[in-house]
Amino acid sequence: MRRAALLVALILILPAAARAAELPVGRERLDNGFTVLVRANPAAPVVAVSVQIKMGSRWESAANAGISNYLQAAIVKGTTRHNGGEIAETITGLGGTLSANGDTDYSEIKGTALARFWRELLGLTAELALEPAFLPDQVEGEKEFLLARIQKRQDNAATHAFDTFFAKLYGSHPYGLPTLGTRESIPRIDTAAIVAWYRRFYRPERMVLAVSGEVPAAEVMAEARRLFRPMRATGEAPNDAVPPVRPPRASRMVIAQAAQQTQIVTGDLAPRVSDRDYAPVQVLRTVLGGGLAGRLFVELRDKQALAYTVTAFFEPTRGPGSFLVYMGAAPANGRGAEQALMKELERIRTTRISDEELRRAKAYLLGTFAMDRRTNARQAWYLAFYEIVGVGHDFPARYRRAVEVVTANDVLRVARAYLAPLTTVVLEPPQKR
Amino acid sequence: MRPYRVLILVAIVISARALFVPVLPAHAQAAGSRPQRHVFPDGVVLITQEHRASDVVALQVWFRVGGRDEAPDELGLSHMLEHMLFKGTATRPPGSIDRMIEGVGGQSNAFTSYDFTHFDVVLPADHAAEGIELLADIAVNATFDQTELDRERQVVLDEVRLTQDDPDRFLQRRLSEVAYAPTPYGQPVLGTPEIIKGLTREQLARYYTKHYVPANMVLVVVGAVEPGQIRAVTERTFGRFTGSAPERAAMPLQPDPGGRVADIPRPEKQAYLGMVWRAPSVAEEDVSATDLLTYILGDSPSSRLNVGVRDRAGLVSTIEAGYVTRQFGGHVSVTARLDAENLDKAERAVLAEVQRIQQEGVSEVERERALVTAEANYAFDIETVEGLARDYGQAETTWTLENELNYLPRLREITAGQMGAAARKYFGLTDYARVRFVPEAGGK
Repeated sequence: MRRAALLVALILILPAAARAAELPVGRERLDNGFTVLVRANPAAPVVAVSVQIKMGSRWESAANAGISNYLQAAIVKGTTRHNGGEIAETITGLGGTLSANGDTDYSEIKGTALARFWRELLGLTAELALEPAFLPDQVEGEKEFLLARIQKRQDNAATHAFDTFFAKLYGSHPYGLPTLGTRESIPRIDTAAIVAWYRRFYRPERMVLAVSGEVPAAEVMAEARRLFRPMRATGEAPNDAVPPVRPPRASRMVIAQAAQQTQIVTGDLAPRVSDRDYAPVQVLRTVLGGGLAGRLFVELRDKQALAYTVTAFFEPTRGPGSFLVYMGAAPANGRGAEQALMKELERIRTTRISDEELRRAKAYLLGTFAMDRRTNARQAWYLAFYEIVGVGHDFPARYRRAVEVVTANDVLRVARAYLAPLTTVVLEPPQKR
Repeated sequence: MRPYRVLILVAIVISARALFVPVLPAHAQAAGSRPQRHVFPDGVVLITQEHRASDVVALQVWFRVGGRDEAPDELGLSHMLEHMLFKGTATRPPGSIDRMIEGVGGQSNAFTSYDFTHFDVVLPADHAAEGIELLADIAVNATFDQTELDRERQVVLDEVRLTQDDPDRFLQRRLSEVAYAPTPYGQPVLGTPEIIKGLTREQLARYYTKHYVPANMVLVVVGAVEPGQIRAVTERTFGRFTGSAPERAAMPLQPDPGGRVADIPRPEKQAYLGMVWRAPSVAEEDVSATDLLTYILGDSPSSRLNVGVRDRAGLVSTIEAGYVTRQFGGHVSVTARLDAENLDKAERAVLAEVQRIQQEGVSEVERERALVTAEANYAFDIETVEGLARDYGQAETTWTLENELNYLPRLREITAGQMGAAARKYFGLTDYARVRFVPEAGGK
């Protein structure tokens, strides 16, 4: 199964660091500001790369919503040297994949290959990032596919509920915009706009390359230097000041859409990765919705059978991020499930968790984080991501310590701070007669 | 990473790809070694391999029972067992198993297919013995608490609904049911709401006692462990079971799916097209050629269907081909998401690509690229111990471990000519079943 599940595609789960020994990471900031991270990992004969760029919907408006993701979709469609078909053939020949997408605060080009092709993979990645063609027919050709993806997100009950939730939570702030854009914005974006956006954001000081795999680290570093050192910024740099988010008020919104399940999304603003509350909020997330022994799963599914899916997400990449609980319930149970969920959220805001719950949550948090970081694709992503959000690739070790010292009182404090007031979106299938 | 076993459990779509193992290169020595296989006197098979890429261990118990073993009044019981086994045993009260696994930082998951059911945990390697004891306990001592069963019944009914909400998964399921009906491979793995609602504790316990016997069990352990120690723990747990396996019913020949069609109205505004052909089972000679052929046809953005039907003709937003092998059957599916007005044109375009491959065969470049893809799929599989363990468990329950270990070398011997022959043999232009999801109320 190579496609991510819809929720995974939508949400970043960023748990804590681990017991696994950390392999050494080489880091170099080139004189043009471009950062390279390399991790040699002998576990399997594969390699993964992640190029992350400080570019995303955070800098967009309703008029050009989705332009970052659109740019990423077009960037794999052709360079000044190769067309999209040739690129696709080449990467298949390396036993890998290459794709690009836009997000809120950063966008990514990512690739994998058999380790013996690391040089080819790196070269191809650099070619995409540095020499995109953006031919008008390639750019226009993506439009229809993007509109189809937007439609798919709206057709899907869960993704539709999530998108509506973010729009409500962040209001008119760019964080409330869908990263894919809208049916109105996408048709208005032309090639010239894409090229201008590229010049503005693809600047060496805004970019990080991470490589993880069975590779010779020094040679990879030298090759990365050779490829990315000539890169120069052109055009005017974007303004990185984030407009403040207006604190949301408690609200509840209902949307009607045909679906087999009632979807409930509720949550509030939350800290970012660099915040001191990051670790306690991760523990809070795990107490509530982490694993099969998490509170919401045990109470709402195992004990009361009110919901099929119930989980908590902490999405810390934005500033401010968001903390939310998602639940899918049979339509007949919808109302009861929502009430029971609210009761659980009230309980965690008012009553300190037990030592045993705290212990399980920490162990599970650290354990899943260790497991999530075993593949090279995830490693490359984590390395680049921690660098781009400014906490550094050595963040996992510090983070692990931060999780270990979280107390039950800390969890109570952050529950009070970040689980009220709640913004709630309920997607209900229309009543059948 | 999908956090809940229940979201993943119906892994009815498992490609032969999951089975690739190349000639283990120098590398395998670095990470571990070849798997060791041992059969205990009670019939339990143990497959174990040392693999020290990280300090965790994958422990999986596989049972040779699944959707295909269910009588008409038992539909969904294998899957219900999957839900109930982690619930509790005589000595482990409800909830304690999940707390134990997660309390040491581990994870659990379970899957039901037509040919097998398996229960997986990944734990820090120093908890391997506890993990084996746990799996041995749930293998024979599950209690099926009435209250737990009643709750889980609701969960499974919810799961049926949830699957319908996901068009991609639902399409795969419907395709498989349409293609294989009325044989056991066409039965619904999740069962029917009527059977699930009426299921009693006694029925479930009877099914469990009948099928969860040592000769039906395979324990796979891969990770930072000492195989000798694992064998000792297994001997005093799984090695001391009693009971003999029931005869598995002989499987009827796989029906010809040709001409079977189903149009299903759906709330999505986009349409879905699914086409499915009969293909070799794991044991058949042509499995390798068909696998490579499927890669060439629709596995990547540079595959023929992507280039021809998506990029050039612009008829679909996504298209892919997949090969699903079962012990006694197999199918290749082509699935696409598209505008409803293109349904007929896209179907004809797929057939045109199939015909082209039949007439012109595949090129040497395509063959080599497909081989690299196969090798890469394996290499990415073994990044995690559970990935490798799953390859072994599936091979042991539906095929043989030895065949699995020789799969890639055999793949390398396949010629372009053999692939063309397989295309002509299996992908007849009228020999496919078709399922379409059509937007309700004339949505565009």
